[in-house]
Amino acid sequence: MAITGCCLVLFLCSHAAGNATLFYSTQLFQAYADQLHSHPLIVSVFSKGLFLIFAVHAITGSLLFLQNRKARGQGYKIQTRAVKNSQASSTMIYSGLLILLFALIHTAVVSFGDHGKIGITISELFDSFFVSIFYLIAFIGLALHLSHGFWSMLQTFGVNHPRYNKLISRLTYVVPVFFLLIFSAIPLLFLFGTGQ
Amino acid sequence: MTTKSIDLSLEIWRQKDSKATGDFETYTLQNISTDMSFLEMLDVLNENLTREGRDPVAFDHDCREGICGMCGAVVNGIAHGPEPETTLCQLHMRHFNSGDTLVIEPFRSRAFPIMKDLITDRSALDRIIQAGGYVSVNTGGAPDGNAIPIPSTTAELAMDAASCIGCGACVASCPNGAAMLFTGAKISQLSLLSQGQPERKERAMAMVTAMDKEGFGNCTNERECEAVCPKGISIRNIAIMNREYVKASVLG
Ligand code: FES
Repeated sequence: MAITGCCLVLFLCSHAAGNATLFYSTQLFQAYADQLHSHPLIVSVFSKGLFLIFAVHAITGSLLFLQNRKARGQGYKIQTRAVKNSQASSTMIYSGLLILLFALIHTAVVSFGDHGKIGITISELFDSFFVSIFYLIAFIGLALHLSHGFWSMLQTFGVNHPRYNKLISRLTYVVPVFFLLIFSAIPLLFLFGTGQ
Repeated sequence: MTTKSIDLSLEIWRQKDSKATGDFETYTLQNISTDMSFLEMLDVLNENLTREGRDPVAFDHDCREGICGMCGAVVNGIAHGPEPETTLCQLHMRHFNSGDTLVIEPFRSRAFPIMKDLITDRSALDRIIQAGGYVSVNTGGAPDGNAIPIPSTTAELAMDAASCIGCGACVASCPNGAAMLFTGAKISQLSLLSQGQPERKERAMAMVTAMDKEGFGNCTNERECEAVCPKGISIRNIAIMNREYVKASVLG
Protein backbone atom coordinates (compact mmCIF):
# COMPACT_ATOMS: atom_id res chain seq x y z
CA MET A 1 0.00 0.00 0.00
CA ALA A 2 2.74 2.38 1.00
CA ILE A 3 4.95 1.82 -2.04
CA THR A 4 2.13 2.20 -4.55
CA GLY A 5 0.72 5.06 -2.48
CA CYS A 6 4.06 6.83 -2.69
CA CYS A 7 4.10 6.43 -6.50
CA LEU A 8 0.56 7.79 -6.67
CA VAL A 9 1.51 10.85 -4.63
CA LEU A 10 4.34 11.49 -7.10
CA PHE A 11 1.85 11.17 -9.95
CA LEU A 12 -0.44 13.67 -8.20
CA CYS A 13 2.48 16.11 -8.08
CA SER A 14 3.10 15.87 -11.82
CA HIS A 15 -0.62 16.02 -12.56
CA ALA A 16 -0.94 19.13 -10.42
CA ALA A 17 1.98 20.74 -12.20
CA GLY A 18 0.37 20.04 -15.59
CA ASN A 19 -2.94 21.39 -14.37
CA ALA A 20 -1.26 24.56 -13.23
CA THR A 21 -0.95 25.61 -16.89
CA LEU A 22 -4.74 25.94 -16.86
CA PHE A 23 -4.43 28.80 -14.39
CA TYR A 24 -2.82 30.73 -17.20
CA SER A 25 -5.07 29.77 -20.09
CA THR A 26 -6.69 26.83 -21.83
CA GLN A 27 -4.38 27.50 -24.79
CA LEU A 28 -1.30 26.95 -22.69
CA PHE A 29 -2.89 23.81 -21.25
CA GLN A 30 -3.59 22.62 -24.80
CA ALA A 31 0.03 23.30 -25.71
CA TYR A 32 1.16 21.31 -22.69
CA ALA A 33 -1.09 18.39 -23.69
CA ASP A 34 0.14 18.52 -27.30
CA GLN A 35 3.74 18.59 -26.16
CA LEU A 36 3.11 15.62 -23.84
CA HIS A 37 1.42 13.60 -26.56
CA SER A 38 4.16 14.28 -29.06
CA HIS A 39 6.16 11.70 -27.09
CA PRO A 40 3.94 8.63 -27.51
CA LEU A 41 6.48 6.30 -25.92
CA ILE A 42 6.64 8.29 -22.68
CA VAL A 43 2.88 8.65 -22.56
CA SER A 44 2.22 4.97 -23.11
CA VAL A 45 4.84 3.78 -20.60
CA PHE A 46 3.67 6.20 -17.94
CA SER A 47 -0.05 5.70 -18.46
CA LYS A 48 0.27 1.90 -18.42
CA GLY A 49 2.53 2.07 -15.39
CA LEU A 50 0.13 4.38 -13.66
CA PHE A 51 -2.80 2.12 -14.43
CA LEU A 52 -0.90 -0.84 -13.00
CA ILE A 53 0.11 0.99 -9.83
CA PHE A 54 -3.38 2.34 -9.33
CA ALA A 55 -4.87 -1.11 -9.83
CA VAL A 56 -2.42 -2.72 -7.40
CA HIS A 57 -3.15 -0.02 -4.83
CA ALA A 58 -6.91 -0.43 -5.17
CA ILE A 59 -6.87 -4.22 -5.19
CA THR A 60 -4.47 -4.66 -2.25
CA GLY A 61 -6.40 -1.99 -0.37
CA SER A 62 -9.68 -3.83 -0.85
CA LEU A 63 -8.14 -7.21 0.02
CA LEU A 64 -6.61 -5.67 3.13
CA PHE A 65 -9.98 -4.30 4.14
CA LEU A 66 -11.66 -7.68 3.75
CA GLN A 67 -8.82 -9.56 5.44
CA ASN A 68 -8.78 -7.19 8.38
CA ARG A 69 -12.50 -7.33 8.81
CA LYS A 70 -12.22 -11.08 9.04
CA ALA A 71 -9.35 -10.84 11.56
CA ARG A 72 -11.43 -8.55 13.76
CA GLY A 73 -14.05 -11.28 14.05
CA GLN A 74 -16.97 -10.32 16.19
CA GLY A 75 -17.23 -6.61 16.91
CA TYR A 76 -18.01 -5.01 20.25
CA LYS A 77 -21.42 -4.04 21.52
CA ILE A 78 -20.11 -0.60 22.35
CA GLN A 79 -18.13 0.75 19.43
CA THR A 80 -15.90 3.60 20.46
CA ARG A 81 -12.50 4.76 19.45
CA ALA A 82 -9.84 5.65 21.98
CA VAL A 83 -8.16 7.83 19.34
CA LYS A 84 -9.66 11.20 18.53
CA ASN A 85 -9.89 12.30 14.89
CA SER A 86 -9.93 8.83 13.48
CA GLN A 87 -12.43 9.63 10.70
CA ALA A 88 -9.83 9.58 7.95
CA SER A 89 -8.17 6.32 9.00
CA SER A 90 -11.41 4.44 9.50
CA THR A 91 -12.86 5.52 6.16
CA MET A 92 -9.87 4.78 3.91
CA ILE A 93 -11.77 2.12 1.99
CA TYR A 94 -14.70 4.48 1.32
CA SER A 95 -12.64 7.51 0.36
CA GLY A 96 -10.57 5.12 -1.74
CA LEU A 97 -13.61 3.79 -3.58
CA LEU A 98 -14.80 7.34 -4.22
CA ILE A 99 -11.43 8.17 -5.77
CA LEU A 100 -11.63 5.00 -7.85
CA LEU A 101 -15.06 6.00 -9.17
CA PHE A 102 -13.77 9.47 -9.90
CA ALA A 103 -10.68 8.14 -11.66
CA LEU A 104 -12.78 5.89 -13.90
CA ILE A 105 -15.09 8.72 -14.94
CA HIS A 106 -12.29 11.22 -15.28
CA THR A 107 -10.18 8.98 -17.50
CA ALA A 108 -13.18 7.94 -19.58
CA VAL A 109 -14.06 11.54 -20.32
CA VAL A 110 -10.70 13.24 -20.42
CA SER A 111 -7.93 10.73 -21.08
CA PHE A 112 -9.82 8.76 -23.72
CA GLY A 113 -11.35 11.90 -25.15
CA ASP A 114 -9.88 13.80 -28.06
CA HIS A 115 -6.47 15.09 -27.00
CA GLY A 116 -6.37 17.47 -29.89
CA LYS A 117 -9.01 19.61 -28.22
CA ILE A 118 -8.56 18.69 -24.59
CA GLY A 119 -8.55 22.34 -23.58
CA ILE A 120 -12.06 22.73 -24.96
CA THR A 121 -13.20 19.42 -23.44
CA ILE A 122 -12.14 20.67 -20.02
CA SER A 123 -13.82 24.03 -20.27
CA GLU A 124 -17.03 22.43 -21.58
CA LEU A 125 -16.89 19.83 -18.83
CA PHE A 126 -16.75 22.37 -16.05
CA ASP A 127 -19.55 24.39 -17.59
CA SER A 128 -21.79 21.83 -15.99
CA PHE A 129 -22.52 22.63 -12.38
CA PHE A 130 -22.94 18.98 -11.40
CA VAL A 131 -19.68 17.86 -12.95
CA SER A 132 -17.85 20.61 -11.06
CA ILE A 133 -19.51 19.61 -7.80
CA PHE A 134 -18.68 15.96 -8.40
CA TYR A 135 -15.04 16.89 -9.00
CA LEU A 136 -14.98 18.96 -5.82
CA ILE A 137 -16.46 16.15 -3.76
CA ALA A 138 -13.91 13.74 -5.16
CA PHE A 139 -11.09 16.14 -4.27
CA ILE A 140 -12.35 16.38 -0.70
CA GLY A 141 -12.34 12.57 -0.61
CA LEU A 142 -8.79 12.65 -1.93
CA ALA A 143 -7.72 15.10 0.77
CA LEU A 144 -9.29 12.90 3.44
CA HIS A 145 -7.57 9.84 1.98
CA LEU A 146 -4.22 11.64 1.94
CA SER A 147 -4.61 13.00 5.45
CA HIS A 148 -4.31 9.47 6.75
CA GLY A 149 -2.43 7.99 3.82
CA PHE A 150 0.57 10.26 3.78
CA TRP A 151 1.44 9.81 7.43
CA SER A 152 0.54 6.15 7.30
CA MET A 153 2.89 5.63 4.37
CA LEU A 154 5.83 7.09 6.29
CA GLN A 155 4.99 4.99 9.36
CA THR A 156 4.92 1.86 7.21
CA PHE A 157 8.29 2.78 5.73
CA GLY A 158 9.53 2.96 9.30
CA VAL A 159 9.92 6.75 9.36
CA ASN A 160 8.94 7.57 12.91
CA HIS A 161 11.46 9.45 14.99
CA PRO A 162 10.97 12.28 17.49
CA ARG A 163 13.33 14.39 15.39
CA TYR A 164 11.05 14.28 12.32
CA ASN A 165 7.66 13.73 13.89
CA LYS A 166 6.87 17.44 14.22
CA LEU A 167 7.58 17.98 10.53
CA ILE A 168 5.60 14.88 9.59
CA SER A 169 2.58 15.94 11.63
CA ARG A 170 2.64 19.32 9.87
CA LEU A 171 2.93 17.67 6.46
CA THR A 172 -0.09 15.55 7.36
CA TYR A 173 -2.12 18.74 7.04
CA VAL A 174 -0.08 20.54 4.40
CA VAL A 175 -0.03 17.75 1.80
CA PRO A 176 -3.79 17.08 1.57
CA VAL A 177 -4.66 20.77 1.77
CA PHE A 178 -2.15 21.56 -0.98
CA PHE A 179 -3.67 19.02 -3.35
CA LEU A 180 -7.20 20.00 -2.36
CA LEU A 181 -6.51 23.64 -3.22
CA ILE A 182 -4.60 23.11 -6.43
CA PHE A 183 -7.06 20.57 -7.85
CA SER A 184 -10.30 22.18 -6.79
CA ALA A 185 -9.12 25.59 -7.97
CA ILE A 186 -9.81 24.46 -11.55
CA PRO A 187 -13.50 23.58 -11.30
CA LEU A 188 -13.96 26.56 -8.98
CA LEU A 189 -12.42 28.91 -11.52
CA PHE A 190 -14.67 27.60 -14.26
CA LEU A 191 -17.66 27.58 -11.94
CA PHE A 192 -17.23 31.24 -11.12
CA GLY A 193 -16.57 32.13 -14.69
CA THR A 194 -12.99 33.29 -14.42
CA GLY A 195 -11.44 30.33 -16.23
CA GLN A 196 -10.89 30.66 -19.96
CA MET B 1 -9.84 10.61 51.85
CA THR B 2 -13.51 9.90 52.10
CA THR B 3 -14.83 6.68 50.79
CA LYS B 4 -17.89 6.90 48.66
CA SER B 5 -19.98 4.05 47.49
CA ILE B 6 -21.74 3.78 44.18
CA ASP B 7 -24.44 1.69 42.59
CA LEU B 8 -23.82 0.17 39.19
CA SER B 9 -25.58 -1.71 36.52
CA LEU B 10 -23.41 -4.20 34.62
CA GLU B 11 -23.91 -5.82 31.24
CA ILE B 12 -21.48 -8.69 31.03
CA TRP B 13 -20.74 -11.10 28.20
CA ARG B 14 -21.53 -14.62 29.38
CA GLN B 15 -20.40 -17.57 27.34
CA LYS B 16 -20.37 -21.12 28.69
CA ASP B 17 -17.39 -22.42 26.74
CA SER B 18 -15.51 -21.87 23.52
CA LYS B 19 -18.22 -23.53 21.45
CA ALA B 20 -21.26 -21.89 23.00
CA THR B 21 -22.75 -18.72 21.57
CA GLY B 22 -22.67 -16.17 24.32
CA ASP B 23 -24.90 -13.28 25.21
CA PHE B 24 -25.06 -10.31 27.56
CA GLU B 25 -26.53 -10.59 31.04
CA THR B 26 -27.45 -7.68 33.22
CA TYR B 27 -26.59 -7.41 36.90
CA THR B 28 -26.95 -4.66 39.46
CA LEU B 29 -24.54 -3.94 42.27
CA GLN B 30 -25.17 -1.71 45.26
CA ASN B 31 -22.78 -0.06 47.64
CA ILE B 32 -19.56 -0.54 45.75
CA SER B 33 -16.75 1.29 47.52
CA THR B 34 -14.92 3.69 45.22
CA ASP B 35 -11.67 2.46 46.78
CA MET B 36 -12.17 -0.91 45.13
CA SER B 37 -10.41 -1.90 41.97
CA PHE B 38 -12.42 -3.01 38.97
CA LEU B 39 -11.57 -6.64 39.64
CA GLU B 40 -12.58 -6.32 43.29
CA MET B 41 -15.91 -5.01 42.09
CA LEU B 42 -16.22 -8.16 39.96
CA ASP B 43 -15.24 -10.22 43.03
CA VAL B 44 -18.19 -8.72 44.90
CA LEU B 45 -20.47 -9.58 42.00
CA ASN B 46 -19.15 -13.14 41.96
CA GLU B 47 -19.67 -13.53 45.73
CA ASN B 48 -23.26 -12.45 45.27
CA LEU B 49 -23.74 -14.82 42.34
CA THR B 50 -22.18 -17.72 44.22
CA ARG B 51 -24.41 -17.08 47.24
CA GLU B 52 -27.41 -17.17 44.95
CA GLY B 53 -26.18 -20.48 43.55
CA ARG B 54 -25.44 -19.00 40.12
CA ASP B 55 -22.34 -19.37 38.01
CA PRO B 56 -19.77 -16.63 38.78
CA VAL B 57 -18.31 -14.56 35.94
CA ALA B 58 -15.00 -16.05 34.79
CA PHE B 59 -12.24 -13.50 34.28
CA ASP B 60 -8.45 -13.70 34.08
CA HIS B 61 -6.15 -12.07 36.62
CA ASP B 62 -3.01 -12.81 38.56
CA CYS B 63 -0.82 -10.10 40.06
CA ARG B 64 -3.49 -7.43 40.39
CA GLU B 65 -0.76 -4.84 40.41
CA GLY B 66 -0.49 -4.11 36.71
CA ILE B 67 2.62 -6.10 35.88
CA CYS B 68 1.66 -9.59 34.76
CA GLY B 69 -0.65 -8.87 31.83
CA MET B 70 -3.22 -11.50 32.74
CA CYS B 71 -6.21 -9.24 33.35
CA GLY B 72 -8.14 -7.40 30.72
CA ALA B 73 -11.62 -6.78 29.39
CA VAL B 74 -13.25 -4.17 27.24
CA VAL B 75 -15.23 -1.71 29.36
CA ASN B 76 -17.70 0.46 27.48
CA GLY B 77 -15.81 -0.09 24.25
CA ILE B 78 -12.31 0.65 25.58
CA ALA B 79 -9.82 -2.09 26.42
CA HIS B 80 -8.82 -1.92 30.10
CA GLY B 81 -11.42 0.79 30.66
CA PRO B 82 -11.36 4.55 30.40
CA GLU B 83 -8.17 5.43 32.29
CA PRO B 84 -5.09 5.83 30.10
CA GLU B 85 -2.05 3.63 30.82
CA THR B 86 -3.92 1.56 33.38
CA THR B 87 -4.57 -2.16 33.46
CA LEU B 88 -8.02 -3.35 34.44
CA CYS B 89 -6.74 -4.53 37.83
CA GLN B 90 -5.36 -1.06 38.55
CA LEU B 91 -8.49 0.73 37.44
CA HIS B 92 -10.34 2.04 40.47
CA MET B 93 -14.04 2.45 40.91
CA ARG B 94 -13.63 6.13 41.79
CA HIS B 95 -13.48 6.77 38.06
CA PHE B 96 -17.12 5.78 37.75
CA ASN B 97 -20.29 7.42 38.95
CA SER B 98 -23.28 6.04 40.74
CA GLY B 99 -25.92 4.92 38.26
CA ASP B 100 -23.40 4.16 35.49
CA THR B 101 -24.02 1.22 33.21
CA LEU B 102 -20.84 -0.67 32.39
CA VAL B 103 -20.76 -2.96 29.39
CA ILE B 104 -18.02 -5.51 29.95
CA GLU B 105 -16.85 -7.63 27.01
CA PRO B 106 -13.92 -9.98 26.49
CA PHE B 107 -10.86 -9.02 24.41
CA ARG B 108 -12.14 -9.94 20.98
CA SER B 109 -10.19 -10.95 17.89
CA ARG B 110 -10.27 -13.92 15.57
CA ALA B 111 -6.88 -14.95 16.98
CA PHE B 112 -8.20 -14.80 20.58
CA PRO B 113 -10.91 -17.47 20.89
CA ILE B 114 -13.16 -16.98 23.92
CA MET B 115 -12.79 -19.77 26.50
CA LYS B 116 -15.47 -18.70 28.96
CA ASP B 117 -17.16 -15.39 29.76
CA LEU B 118 -14.35 -12.81 29.81
CA ILE B 119 -11.49 -15.27 29.44
CA THR B 120 -9.87 -15.47 26.03
CA ASP B 121 -7.10 -17.72 24.80
CA ARG B 122 -4.19 -15.39 24.10
CA SER B 123 -1.62 -18.11 23.52
CA ALA B 124 -1.18 -16.86 19.96
CA LEU B 125 1.00 -14.14 21.50
CA ASP B 126 3.11 -16.79 23.25
CA ARG B 127 3.68 -18.54 19.94
CA ILE B 128 4.94 -15.29 18.41
CA ILE B 129 7.48 -15.04 21.26
CA GLN B 130 8.46 -18.68 20.80
CA ALA B 131 9.21 -17.96 17.15
CA GLY B 132 12.03 -15.57 17.98
CA GLY B 133 11.45 -13.32 20.96
CA TYR B 134 14.55 -14.49 22.81
CA VAL B 135 18.32 -14.42 22.63
CA SER B 136 20.25 -17.67 22.43
CA VAL B 137 23.42 -17.92 24.44
CA ASN B 138 25.06 -21.02 23.07
CA THR B 139 28.51 -20.72 24.56
CA GLY B 140 30.23 -19.52 27.69
CA GLY B 141 28.62 -17.41 30.36
CA ALA B 142 26.35 -14.56 29.39
CA PRO B 143 28.34 -11.30 29.48
CA ASP B 144 27.37 -9.04 32.34
CA GLY B 145 24.67 -6.75 31.01
CA ASN B 146 26.12 -3.75 32.81
CA ALA B 147 29.53 -4.29 31.21
CA ILE B 148 28.21 -3.53 27.70
CA PRO B 149 28.17 0.23 27.12
CA ILE B 150 24.89 1.39 25.53
CA PRO B 151 23.78 4.99 24.91
CA SER B 152 21.22 5.86 27.54
CA THR B 153 18.61 6.92 24.95
CA THR B 154 18.86 3.50 23.33
CA ALA B 155 18.61 1.80 26.70
CA GLU B 156 15.51 3.86 27.48
CA LEU B 157 13.88 2.96 24.16
CA ALA B 158 14.60 -0.71 24.70
CA MET B 159 13.24 -0.48 28.24
CA ASP B 160 10.07 1.25 27.00
CA ALA B 161 9.51 -1.55 24.51
CA ALA B 162 10.33 -4.16 27.14
CA SER B 163 7.63 -2.83 29.44
CA CYS B 164 5.04 -4.65 27.30
CA ILE B 165 3.21 -7.07 29.59
CA GLY B 166 1.63 -8.97 26.69
CA CYS B 167 -1.94 -8.41 27.84
CA GLY B 168 -3.32 -8.26 24.29
CA ALA B 169 -5.21 -4.98 24.67
CA CYS B 170 -3.55 -3.80 21.44
CA VAL B 171 -5.12 -6.68 19.54
CA ALA B 172 -8.46 -6.25 21.28
CA SER B 173 -8.70 -2.57 20.43
CA CYS B 174 -7.33 -2.73 16.88
CA PRO B 175 -10.11 -2.37 14.29
CA ASN B 176 -8.12 -4.94 12.28
CA GLY B 177 -7.34 -7.32 15.16
CA ALA B 178 -3.63 -6.85 14.44
CA ALA B 179 -0.85 -7.76 16.85
CA MET B 180 1.72 -5.37 15.42
CA LEU B 181 2.25 -3.30 18.57
CA PHE B 182 2.94 -6.41 20.63
CA THR B 183 5.24 -7.94 18.02
CA GLY B 184 6.87 -4.58 17.30
CA ALA B 185 7.66 -4.06 20.98
CA LYS B 186 9.10 -7.53 21.33
CA ILE B 187 11.23 -7.18 18.20
CA SER B 188 12.57 -3.71 18.91
CA GLN B 189 13.30 -4.45 22.56
CA LEU B 190 15.91 -6.96 21.38
CA SER B 191 17.04 -5.36 18.14
CA LEU B 192 18.02 -2.17 19.99
CA LEU B 193 20.43 -3.93 22.30
CA SER B 194 23.72 -5.63 21.53
CA GLN B 195 22.55 -8.96 22.95
CA GLY B 196 19.92 -9.11 20.24
CA GLN B 197 22.21 -8.50 17.27
CA PRO B 198 23.29 -12.04 16.26
CA GLU B 199 19.73 -13.22 15.66
CA ARG B 200 18.35 -9.89 14.57
CA LYS B 201 17.33 -10.80 11.03
CA GLU B 202 16.03 -14.28 11.71
CA ARG B 203 14.07 -12.91 14.63
CA ALA B 204 12.31 -10.26 12.56
CA MET B 205 11.43 -12.74 9.84
CA ALA B 206 10.33 -15.52 12.19
CA MET B 207 8.21 -13.36 14.46
CA VAL B 208 6.43 -11.56 11.63
CA THR B 209 5.76 -14.88 9.91
CA ALA B 210 4.42 -16.37 13.16
CA MET B 211 2.21 -13.33 13.66
CA ASP B 212 0.68 -13.70 10.19
CA LYS B 213 0.15 -17.42 10.69
CA GLU B 214 -1.96 -16.84 13.78
CA GLY B 215 -4.57 -14.98 11.76
CA PHE B 216 -4.00 -11.50 13.16
CA GLY B 217 -4.99 -8.64 10.89
CA ASN B 218 -2.72 -6.10 9.23
CA CYS B 219 -1.79 -2.72 10.61
CA THR B 220 -3.43 0.24 8.90
CA ASN B 221 -2.01 2.73 11.38
CA GLU B 222 -5.19 3.46 13.29
CA ARG B 223 -3.23 4.12 16.51
CA GLU B 224 -5.88 2.52 18.74
CA CYS B 225 -3.33 0.11 20.22
CA GLU B 226 -1.06 2.87 21.45
CA ALA B 227 -4.03 4.71 22.96
CA VAL B 228 -5.20 1.79 25.08
CA CYS B 229 -1.83 0.20 25.90
CA PRO B 230 -1.58 0.06 29.70
CA LYS B 231 2.17 0.58 29.39
CA GLY B 232 1.97 3.45 26.91
CA ILE B 233 4.01 1.65 24.26
CA SER B 234 4.44 3.82 21.19
CA ILE B 235 3.67 2.78 17.62
CA ARG B 236 7.22 3.89 16.94
CA ASN B 237 7.96 0.25 17.76
CA ILE B 238 5.83 -0.78 14.79
CA ALA B 239 7.91 1.50 12.58
CA ILE B 240 11.05 -0.12 13.99
CA MET B 241 9.60 -3.56 13.27
CA ASN B 242 8.79 -2.53 9.69
CA ARG B 243 12.36 -1.37 9.22
CA GLU B 244 13.71 -4.58 10.72
CA TYR B 245 11.46 -6.71 8.52
CA VAL B 246 12.27 -4.85 5.32
CA LYS B 247 15.99 -4.93 6.10
CA ALA B 248 15.86 -8.64 6.83
CA SER B 249 13.81 -9.57 3.78
CA VAL B 250 15.48 -7.31 1.21
CA LEU B 251 19.09 -7.41 2.36
CA GLY B 252 18.85 -11.01 3.57
S1 FES C 1 -3.73 -8.87 37.01
FE1 FES C 1 -1.62 -8.68 36.52
S2 FES C 1 -1.70 -6.97 35.21
FE2 FES C 1 -3.72 -7.02 35.91
